[in-house]
Amino acid sequence: MTEPAPQDKTVTKDTSAEPDGGRKAPRVGVFVCDCGSNIAGVVDCGKVREAAEKLGDVVVAKENKYTCSDVGQAEIIKAIKEHGIERVVVAACSPRLHEPTFRNCIQQAGLNPYLLHMVNIREQCSWVHGHEKAKATKKALELVKMGVSKAARLEPLEAREVPVEPSSLVVGGGVAGIQAALDLANMGFKVYMVEKEPSIGGKMAMLDKTFPTGDCAICILAPKMVELSRHPNITLLSYSEVEEVKGYIGNFEVKVRKKARYVHEELCVGCGVCADACPVKVDNEFDLGFGQRKAIYVPFPQAVPLRYTIDKEHCIHFKSGKCLLCAKACANNAIDHKMKDEIVNLKVGTIIVATGYETYVPLRKGVYKYWECDNVITGLELERLLNASGPTGGHLVRPSDGKRPEKIAFIQCVGSRNKKIDRNYCSRVCCMYAIKNAQIIMEHEPNTEISVYYNDIRAFGKGFEELYHRVREEYAVEFIRGRPAKLKEDPTTKRITIRAEETLLNMITEREFDLVVLSTGLIPSEGSKSIGKTLGLTTTPDGFFAEAHPKLRPVETALDGVYVAGCAQGPKDIPDSVAQAKAAASSAAAPMFAKKVTIEPLTASVDEDLCVGCGLCVELCPYGAPELVTVEKGGTKARIIEALCHGCGTCAASCPQKAITCKQFTDEQIYSEIFAALGAEDKKGEGRKKAEAGVS
Amino acid sequence: MAEVEKVFISGLHEELAEDRVINEKDLDPEFAKEIRKYGGKNVMTCLQCGNCTGVCPISLKIDYKTRNIIKCCQFGLKKYTLGTRWVCATCYRCYEHCPADLNPAEVMIALRHIAVREGIVPPFVKIAATNLVKYGQSVKPDPEIDKIRVELGLKPVHADQERLTAVVREIQTLVHATKYDKLIGIQEEVKL
Amino acid sequence: MNSYLYFFGCVIPNRYPGVEYAVRWVTGKNGFDMDVKECDEFSCCPVPGIFYSTDKDTWLLLAARNLVLAQPDRRDILTVCNGCFASLLKATEYLQEPKNMGKVNRILAQVGKKYTGIPVRSEGRRRIFEPVKVRHYIEVMANDLGIDEIAKRTKHPLKNLRVAVHYGCHYLRPTERTQIEDPNDPVLLDKIVEACGAVSVDYEDKHDCCGAGGGVRSHVVDLANSLTQDKCRNISAAEADCIVTGCPFCLLQFDNAQRSFAKDGIPVMHVSQLQALAMGIDPISLGFDTHHVSAHSLLRKIRGS
Repeated sequence: MTEPAPQDKTVTKDTSAEPDGGRKAPRVGVFVCDCGSNIAGVVDCGKVREAAEKLGDVVVAKENKYTCSDVGQAEIIKAIKEHGIERVVVAACSPRLHEPTFRNCIQQAGLNPYLLHMVNIREQCSWVHGHEKAKATKKALELVKMGVSKAARLEPLEAREVPVEPSSLVVGGGVAGIQAALDLANMGFKVYMVEKEPSIGGKMAMLDKTFPTGDCAICILAPKMVELSRHPNITLLSYSEVEEVKGYIGNFEVKVRKKARYVHEELCVGCGVCADACPVKVDNEFDLGFGQRKAIYVPFPQAVPLRYTIDKEHCIHFKSGKCLLCAKACANNAIDHKMKDEIVNLKVGTIIVATGYETYVPLRKGVYKYWECDNVITGLELERLLNASGPTGGHLVRPSDGKRPEKIAFIQCVGSRNKKIDRNYCSRVCCMYAIKNAQIIMEHEPNTEISVYYNDIRAFGKGFEELYHRVREEYAVEFIRGRPAKLKEDPTTKRITIRAEETLLNMITEREFDLVVLSTGLIPSEGSKSIGKTLGLTTTPDGFFAEAHPKLRPVETALDGVYVAGCAQGPKDIPDSVAQAKAAASSAAAPMFAKKVTIEPLTASVDEDLCVGCGLCVELCPYGAPELVTVEKGGTKARIIEALCHGCGTCAASCPQKAITCKQFTDEQIYSEIFAALGAEDKKGEGRKKAEAGVS
Repeated sequence: MAEVEKVFISGLHEELAEDRVINEKDLDPEFAKEIRKYGGKNVMTCLQCGNCTGVCPISLKIDYKTRNIIKCCQFGLKKYTLGTRWVCATCYRCYEHCPADLNPAEVMIALRHIAVREGIVPPFVKIAATNLVKYGQSVKPDPEIDKIRVELGLKPVHADQERLTAVVREIQTLVHATKYDKLIGIQEEVKL
Repeated sequence: MNSYLYFFGCVIPNRYPGVEYAVRWVTGKNGFDMDVKECDEFSCCPVPGIFYSTDKDTWLLLAARNLVLAQPDRRDILTVCNGCFASLLKATEYLQEPKNMGKVNRILAQVGKKYTGIPVRSEGRRRIFEPVKVRHYIEVMANDLGIDEIAKRTKHPLKNLRVAVHYGCHYLRPTERTQIEDPNDPVLLDKIVEACGAVSVDYEDKHDCCGAGGGVRSHVVDLANSLTQDKCRNISAAEADCIVTGCPFCLLQFDNAQRSFAKDGIPVMHVSQLQALAMGIDPISLGFDTHHVSAHSLLRKIRGS
């Protein structure tokens, strides 16, 4: 192999623009790993080592049984020092496994950790060509040759460190958001909680009792809500929404819109005389239309913060300019109809998304006749009717006539496990909440008959099977295995007849009920959709946020510094939401405790001389890393925000001016690998010249 | 009361000789694949919820249960599906309501395909096919109706005999090309 | 204005010629004067309950043969039967798969035909084809002509006539294909009936099957009749004067089945016959004599109004 003249070059600069490609004939060391028999069982590692040693630039080649072990690593360090190795090639497993290990190793030997190149002769060679040993060996030889060629062109790179703001933003004030906020605050970090409703509490505040123990939901949640509101480290921004998020991990710039309550929070004491005075009555969203509230209201008695809000849509003053009864009644002059929305700018280090769920709404004119029949209600509506502070004071009544229902049917899997409506997933909680509600109803009124129409009963958690057993043994709740096919309403009594096949009896049954409860499934919330768009979070096909790795990274997202917790990530019950919230808090705390975060230097950079400011990279980047800036020389150029760049290479590959290079994946490096594989001699700078000419 | 006695008194010996168990020799492992071949989508994903039976107008009247047929197809119990294949009205309500996006009506169609290929051809199929290759229509023309047609001012059904012959010949060619005539057993009618 | 080809199928010409007359009258010069042509070479659609059930390849072939006849004139095929509609529409969908089209055309070549679809435009050297359009009479009336137009031409509004509509199964389902209306809440036939001045009564289980389809009527007629009996019971309970449907096979089923369980049945007619009556036709032309259930008292009631 021809030896190019050694060239002096500055180590940190991107050298692909230099006339001769910048190659200096560095000293390369090759380490071939046996990986026990994983590689050596198929590839003849001895042969590979021998051939590697004969390659130009290679000063030493070694074979090792387990290169990642202490022994193996010690050998690498020794060889580097002994032979003055400047570039290291490790031919072993996938870099996804041990690249950090070997980077660390060569750093210990005094080399820049980015002067390492790993060649995968395991996952991409021995593991897939197990039946063709000779061919596998040949392939390994060629891979190593390519690797050496690239390694010779590697540049040393420095990882950057950015400081991390020790504060966190929690979006969503349900049980998951509250738990995460409290955990972070107790660790000593500043927390901003943004909740779009006038009060925190989320869906858990609407529930009656929780399964499997029957704890009253608001009774266990309210103390946490109050603790949050009083915590010195937490700033609660309720009735607010996140509008914009810029920046990267450790340095997020968040714009929050505080919607106008038309009531000054500092002056309002929550006494309620304004609501007494207000003449307007509207359906209460918290009671899902079963109860009423005034135009000035708190959503429920245990609201946090306990401050009144004016519903602009229904307030008479906004419509006609008249009526200031509430303002006149207020002793503290807290009401101000002229209030405007406020923009709050925050700087935070990490973000936790806990925007929860909504329940599935059945179709109009659908099989279950939810919209047509009064006595067909959803599971969440049942919770409100059973709740002691609900619209009926906890007495379960039929919506049509207010009488006590004696025969109740639960229909499971409504809006879940249904390919036809594109909701093929199981909502996980409906089996248990139906069983739990059945038990509550039987406790209140022992003379009720309850039938549950199910497809499967999923009672998987701690105490779940026991409750399922109890509800059949103690309360004689009937379980009918079949999906209801037809619901018919009697026009006078408003009783509902359900026709379903009892699949275990192999007979079609028709039964009449006073009340039908649809156990509706969980769907992604509107809040999730909007924060997802703002941040650019990906979702899984069911619409919930995608975790970084389904098994091993359950609370992180693809965006560094953004974590997800609770039902925003997928349907789950309260214990799981709380556990995930604690996990998210702990994950978010890690960079904040470390006070700094290392940004990998394998990023893209723009040569501003070549860039014409077309903006294609800005459009294509999945991470929002490039931005167009006006430069001092004049004109717009693209510039990559390194902290956001993940080094995926999309911009570099698509730049029509070839102005963008990805470190460690320069055109020159890649072409050298190709030429090495093809056995062509790569003369000085030939690779780079070809790259510039745009040869594909 | 009398029914119960009947079961337990007569013919007991022979009935007790063999265990009432379904094992491999009763099952046909290729049955589900055969169904898929003839257009009945993957029956293996059926979760047996029974919604199809609930909406089926036929299941309401007789012992046949749509869901049961799908289970037999999943399991490979071919002989249990006999006797049920020709009662489906193909109203497609089952497909409309199925949460697993299966089409039980199409599975019935697949079962009919299998039946016909095993030589089981119901008389009404033969009659309709015969009418088709003779008159170009599945319903046999009625001279009385033809009279009424003329009274109303319409042309009789086969006014143009030449046209009819050409059409019938085309149909016979097609039916013969797919070997349908052999399948249904109407070879004598196809005079090419 | 769209242009069409009449597709009467098998049952109407051979059992209920009055319906054929009504359709021709309503769509012809005396009625809405639509651009509809005759095609003498149409054969059986073919009947889905028999041919689709026993051999899909043959069914597709026979259906494609009919579709090819509509290609030269680029007209829509106007069907007046749910079965024909479903069969031909399903065929156009199957033929969108190049494999199916290739298989069919190979055999169609033996009779000198080739299915391509209707050419709509050229892109460079390629011609882009659209499948042959298959339409149902009810949908054509409601969408192409418009309910208002129907109401305008109603010279003799059928006041006080209580009509029970029967959509049938293959007009509504399976929805992926027919896509005319929401199968849980179809309205077009009701609207046409009301545009004719009559009242469309609501009866229990309005959208239930008549029982005839899929070969049930031919194979186990008692089963079919029991389904029809349930429907007729509900219709009588709603005190309807007649049954109006868009499918001649449902018509045949209602007409024949009532003999086995009802002394005086409820008269049944096709929607075109109802339209013709509302537009002033002489009822003698509607061939009610071929119907088994006598329509005399019905016609007298209409006369009287």
